Amino acid sequence: MAQYRAIETRRVWLPAAFFGAFALLIFARLFQLQVLEHSSYASTAQQELLGDDVIYARRGAILDRNGNVLAMSVDTWDIYVSSRAWKDPARATAASEALGKALTIDPAELRRTVAASKSVDVLIRRDVDYEVGKTLLKANLTGIIGLPNTARVNPEGDTAASVLGLIGLDNTGLAGIEAALNNDLQGKPGRAVYERDTTGEPIPFAQHVAQKPTAGSDLQLTIDRYIQQLVERTLDQGIKDHRAQGGDIIVMDPTNGDILAFASRPGLQYSTLNLDDPKSMELLRNRAVTDLYEPGSVMKVVTASGAIDAGVVSPDTTYVDTGVAHIYEISLKNWDDRVYGTQTMTQVLQNSINTGAVFMVEKLGAKAFQSYLDAFGFGKPTGIELTGEADGIIRRPGDRNYSPVDVATQAFGQSISVTPLQMITAIAASINGGKLYKPHLVKSIIAPGGKRTDRQPEVVAKPIRPDTSATIREMLDAVVNPEGFRYPGAPRDYRAGGKSGTANVPIPNGYDDRQIASFIGFAPVDSPKVIILVKLDQNQDLATGTQAAAPIFARLADDILHYLGVAPGATKAVAKP
Amino acid sequence: MAAIHPPLTKEQKKAGTRAPLGANVWVLAGMAILGISAMLPVLQNSAATSQGFRTQAIEADKAKLNGEIRTLEADVASLTSLARIQRRAQEIGLEPGAKPIYVSVSEPGPAPAKLPAQYLPGPDRSSEAPAAWWQSLNTWVPLPAR
Repeated sequence: MAQYRAIETRRVWLPAAFFGAFALLIFARLFQLQVLEHSSYASTAQQELLGDDVIYARRGAILDRNGNVLAMSVDTWDIYVSSRAWKDPARATAASEALGKALTIDPAELRRTVAASKSVDVLIRRDVDYEVGKTLLKANLTGIIGLPNTARVNPEGDTAASVLGLIGLDNTGLAGIEAALNNDLQGKPGRAVYERDTTGEPIPFAQHVAQKPTAGSDLQLTIDRYIQQLVERTLDQGIKDHRAQGGDIIVMDPTNGDILAFASRPGLQYSTLNLDDPKSMELLRNRAVTDLYEPGSVMKVVTASGAIDAGVVSPDTTYVDTGVAHIYEISLKNWDDRVYGTQTMTQVLQNSINTGAVFMVEKLGAKAFQSYLDAFGFGKPTGIELTGEADGIIRRPGDRNYSPVDVATQAFGQSISVTPLQMITAIAASINGGKLYKPHLVKSIIAPGGKRTDRQPEVVAKPIRPDTSATIREMLDAVVNPEGFRYPGAPRDYRAGGKSGTANVPIPNGYDDRQIASFIGFAPVDSPKVIILVKLDQNQDLATGTQAAAPIFARLADDILHYLGVAPGATKAVAKP
Repeated sequence: MAAIHPPLTKEQKKAGTRAPLGANVWVLAGMAILGISAMLPVLQNSAATSQGFRTQAIEADKAKLNGEIRTLEADVASLTSLARIQRRAQEIGLEPGAKPIYVSVSEPGPAPAKLPAQYLPGPDRSSEAPAAWWQSLNTWVPLPAR
């Protein structure tokens, strides 16, 4: 058999080199694509293939002190449409007809919206009712994607809205308790991942929950929904009666700092809130903790507490009122320009005599007086569970524009700015045995598993002794229950104590005619169950705190104590030794 | 052609009849093992997939039921809201109550209702008399634990 042998030639290397170089080129390109740029291409492919979305965790409910629901979340659906899946006109028409019918949207408008959108998944509507969304998704319509979400509902309507606040579209609290305790309420959101086909439509059974959401904790507040509703109704009526610009009412348990009701006007109302109006942003702040005012004569209670606690005066200490006190060539007059003559310290509170308060501060000394202001919590936030709480302003030696007259005027509630919450907290300390409690709105936090963590009352300071507190209680009893006439702030069925204040609104270099009328009272006087602050801002009828705010206190004290089941019976405060 | 294979001896016959049969058993067993080994992952995958779908379906059911529970809770909350109670009370002709009357009585109040024994705390063991010294000797005896 003949054998053929290839003749060795250099020409064979030419195509070999060519194919070899080509193979090398392909290999290099493959190396570039699959090794060097792997992660970039992989993530692009993932983005093309996978869609993912946040699954919001169920937000915890907010309950009142008796377990009634004030705010809760219900499951809803956010409905999206895949714009890629709706590129086929026939399928888009069929799906849009069904979707439009379920959501009461014009199908043609729906198709236009989806076509005009630059997003792959176009949001059609948030918070679609759970059953409606479920039916839609069951119908397997082309390109419809439903993502679980939750919506906030407030069964009690506008009641306590300014305390509760509101949440945003991303289920994060924006104001009130919803914002202040967002971390507890919100839980941890999860993540849903779904695969798309070449048209962008989700592949059946290819959706999975990559990370499960963890539900938020429930909050039980110290607010009582009945008292809150009563207080809000009363405040609205009071503002109307006295043609005021706004006002606040706070009801507190003086024995532990529990806030039973907290109303502020103007404030957030769910029923009338329009977030498109920039002015409505002003309503999101709770003025009883963010806004300052000069308390006026209510501050005399703090002045008397300090002076009696320091032992420089007693309720029966007398001085002679000449109608004016001269401090560094400045004349400080009484509010009614009257001259009262010889007066006891109890009468100073009864008649709200400015010169008497100046007398107490002179006896006490400026430094000691301001240390009592500090001890009563003025000049710093109380620490309540609300955002944006103001510090308050106390003019002190060394401050710019400070004058020694400031300490004298602080004795009767001028040259000092406080929040209504600071004021009621301080007066509560002066009548509850001398304990300054941190005011609080949260009674307990209930974790999703049911574990309940109660928040204990916190004593921040003890500004005065228990016996001083008992004396102050007796003096304030004498203010509300004078001999010879019926004080407007005296409740019908209970014996109460309290003090009114009427202060002009400060402006640069002085005060104008606008005024703030207020009253802080407590009842029953021998064992206080509630302390109530009533404040009316810029009442046009110019009624004083005694005339405008005290009667509101009296009505509320009767109604609230009856509701709490407190039997009338106390006759007169008795100072304990 | 028949002469190609000489007749088998006795020993060869014995060995010859067994050898093919033995090889078949082992081959069959091996094939069976291979077959089962090959099928096992398929079966496992199939079972896992079915289980996965079932889990997904149950989770979807759970989510649906949870959603319904929330909706019902919201319904209950709105039905027990103060505004709704007040409206309903007006509808059926109820009016706000008169001033409450508080009665003071010198007699003690009624005794609290007795709870079933299962809800009461057990007897206080600490108040029992201490055991006599000789009872400690019982621990030396290997008696069954009570």
